[in-house]
Amino acid sequence: MYRILEKKELAPKHIMYRIEAPHVARKVQPGQFVIVRAFPNGERIPLTPVMWDREEGWIVLITFVRGKTTMRMANELKPGDSILNVAGPLGNPAPIEKFGRVLAVGLSAGIVEVFPIAKALQEAGNDVTTLHVAPAPMAILKDEFTESVSRHIFEGFEIQEGWGTKEIVAEIARRGAEKVKELLSEENFDFVLTVGPAGAQKAVFNVVKEFGIPMHADLHPIMVDGTGMCGSCRVTVGGEVKFACIDGPGFDAYKVDWDELIHRVGFYTDLEKRALEEYLKSLRGE
Amino acid sequence: MAVRRKLIKERVPTPERPAEERIHDFKEVNLGYTFELAVKEAERCLQCPANYAPCIKGCPVHINIPGFIGKLVEYRDDPDKAVKEALKVIWACNSLPATTGRVCPQEDQCEMNCVMGKVGDKINIGKLERFVADYAREKGIDEELLFEMVPKIEKKGQKVAIIGAGPAGLTAAGELAKLGYDVTIYEALHEPGGVLMYGIPEFRLPKSIVESEIDKLRKLGVKILTDHIVGKTVTIEELLEEYDAVFIGSGAGTPRLINAPGINLNGIYTANEFLTRVNLMKAYLFPEYDTPVKVGKRVIVIGAGNTAMDAARSARRFGAEVIIAYRRGEEDVSARIEEVEHAKEEGIKFEYFINPVEFIGDENGNVKAVKFEKMKPLDERDKRGKRKIVGTGEYVTIEADTVIIAIGKHPNRLIINTPGLKVERGRIVVDENMMTSIPGVFAGGDAIRGEATVILAMGDGRRAAKAIHEYLTKKREGKENA
Ligand SMILES: Cc1cc2nc3c(=O)[nH]c(=O)nc-3n(C[C@H](O)[C@H](O)[C@H](O)COP(=O)(O)OP(=O)(O)OC[C@H]3O[C@@H](n4cnc5c(N)ncnc54)[C@H](O)[C@@H]3O)c2cc1C
Ligand SMILES: Cc1cc2nc3c(=O)[nH]c(=O)nc-3n(C[C@H](O)[C@H](O)[C@H](O)COP(=O)(O)OP(=O)(O)OC[C@H]3O[C@@H](n4cnc5c(N)ncnc54)[C@H](O)[C@@H]3O)c2cc1C
Ligand code: SF4
Ligand code: FES
Repeated sequence: MYRILEKKELAPKHIMYRIEAPHVARKVQPGQFVIVRAFPNGERIPLTPVMWDREEGWIVLITFVRGKTTMRMANELKPGDSILNVAGPLGNPAPIEKFGRVLAVGLSAGIVEVFPIAKALQEAGNDVTTLHVAPAPMAILKDEFTESVSRHIFEGFEIQEGWGTKEIVAEIARRGAEKVKELLSEENFDFVLTVGPAGAQKAVFNVVKEFGIPMHADLHPIMVDGTGMCGSCRVTVGGEVKFACIDGPGFDAYKVDWDELIHRVGFYTDLEKRALEEYLKSLRGE
Repeated sequence: MAVRRKLIKERVPTPERPAEERIHDFKEVNLGYTFELAVKEAERCLQCPANYAPCIKGCPVHINIPGFIGKLVEYRDDPDKAVKEALKVIWACNSLPATTGRVCPQEDQCEMNCVMGKVGDKINIGKLERFVADYAREKGIDEELLFEMVPKIEKKGQKVAIIGAGPAGLTAAGELAKLGYDVTIYEALHEPGGVLMYGIPEFRLPKSIVESEIDKLRKLGVKILTDHIVGKTVTIEELLEEYDAVFIGSGAGTPRLINAPGINLNGIYTANEFLTRVNLMKAYLFPEYDTPVKVGKRVIVIGAGNTAMDAARSARRFGAEVIIAYRRGEEDVSARIEEVEHAKEEGIKFEYFINPVEFIGDENGNVKAVKFEKMKPLDERDKRGKRKIVGTGEYVTIEADTVIIAIGKHPNRLIINTPGLKVERGRIVVDENMMTSIPGVFAGGDAIRGEATVILAMGDGRRAAKAIHEYLTKKREGKENA
């Protein structure tokens, strides 16, 4: 059991949890993740330690409230409560080398995962620009970024009336690709890194490809165990089947089969919707 | 000793839930013996002398089988006493009898050798073992025995780390705790039990039973740290700094995939993923439980081992039509006979001599059919004694909206990548004392054998515990003499 030391709403739908998890705090490296199970009948979901203190033994997780599990966590967990399971650290660290000028792109909530990596890259002597693309009210971690990297850009937009998730994600992809194109045209970068929804990452990749700049993408396939024993997270990279939880989650964006990944993350959409609807019904006491 | 009895040739049957009823839920299929039925079956045993009894030789951990069966008959007028005495005999060699009584392939082990087989049915040793464990658990007799045992344990003052809480690790932990060592298990998942929890379904091995067998280990003083992945959360090197010895029982958890086009289409599961969702995460209770699983109208399971049977029978319980596709023939099926029969009763179809060559998807990236090559057997046999097969160049396509791959597993990569750990063909190499190439680090179970059985893993755990005890005794005495 892992105690919640602090819980805060950073922006609409973005909840921060500071959690006692000394076994993870001691070892975690930028790019690694944990698997969390919050409730006895709950599912295991992958989340990323955004900050940590090795000595005090805590990690910070930031969830974007997307479906049932993240919403239940937001509604039902209070500071002082415990999370049942926090397994990790899992996956491989991101490559922290001296690349030169780095553009690190966080699409929507992907920005939380960019933070530890960008910070480590800056500390390793890189000149890091971070770009966050999201609906305007969802600008988060602005101060933390400004303090940690050379330059932080927030590319926000207003959500139009009648837009649903689909339209928002499409706008993130469009804006992300456009802004990246602008930056790459005007300046020289040696390395690009992205985290976010697969569709938006693919859109950014298509731009980066035109410039031929090396690109690293942290992938979000569906995970169950996170330790390499199920293959739910499999992706095709360079024509080979890889398990993102033990071979990744970061890969060379040029080798990723993006369309396959996009198909695979959508596999449970109908059931996820149903889980959320039933949960909302139960909240309304139906 | 019991008086001479007349030979009863026929086995006392155990009641089972009818197929039409059980395919609608995940409750246990076989209901086991009552005390009366157990005694009736126990009476059939000829009580061969322990130094000869072939059943004992056939049991990989050499349980004194006539010994425990005899207690049931001897104390037939006092069921609690009968069970307590029988359990004592079993516990001397096996700490998870409710599990092994259910999942061991007895027909290839103890029961294969039973002399009663020459004149009639073999003794139903597995179900008797299961009865003893179940009755003891329901009546708290196991707790009573533990309560008597625990205060007698003399603390050794040395610490042992166990990696993996499957049958191998749990057994090693139990034995070492009984010897007085301070034992901590590191388990990657959120529940201990290994395959017993995530692989073997509820209808064969209820999870509450596994949990209670594990609870007994906790009462022996074993600590279990879940969510700890050795190789990530902590390394073997670091464990060696803190502990006097380490045992690796990390199993063979990495699923093997088929190297054929379309393997990543939606709707294609590895058996491990499918069974983990269903068993460990209880996806069959979605949305009461949060983890989803998708089972279509027509499911093809590829493979014919225990895993394939479990996956097929689980899928059946979601109302699907299920086909098991196997590249060899009926006589080569490696699953337990009982499970194959159960599968057939439940309406699962078997297709033999077909080997998948392509998974065909629809325009949305969902699987819709599997293309197989027809195979034929040769007269030659391979190293394991199975008939060799070759492709015929003829193909057949079978439609399905869910495919489950159950063709075997490799040992976990996180462990076998440990520097200095000798590994051959993905399996950890051990010497005759179960020690690996790293001094003080021992291993057993599927991690050294590849996919094997529960009881072999437990046997390894016991043997390793003995070897660790010897190793630590030397270490202790060395320290005392220094
Ligand atoms: C390595 C990794 C690190 C991640 N880090 C973070 C993080 O720091 N913060 C954060 O908010 N999110 C993170 N995610 C995504 C996070 O796991 C999902 O947001 C979460 O599972 C959604 O659960 P839900 O029940 O609320 O939503 P659901 O209704 O279940 O799902 C909504 C969407 O989330 C995706 N999703 C669902 N289950 C999973 C799963 N088990 N694994 C991956 N994606 C899933 C699906 O594509 C789906 O479209 C990470 C994912 C991965 C793979
Ligand atoms: C579906 C299925 C059905 C089966 N049916 C039968 C049957 O009917 N009868 C039978 O005898 N056998 C059966 N088997 C085989 C049997 O279950 C295995 O042989 C046995 O469980 C092996 O035990 P083990 O302790 O070596 O490994 P496992 O049971 O695999 O346990 C290993 C444990 O180690 C953990 N682990 C792995 N890596 C790490 C790490 N890096 N750090 C920490 N922990 C780790 C795993 O999470 C797991 O809990 C079946 C197997 C399957 C998959
Ligand atoms: S071999 Fe059969 S009859 Fe003989 S002791 Fe064993 S179970 Fe009894
Ligand atoms: S999540 Fe199961 S193998 Fe990666």
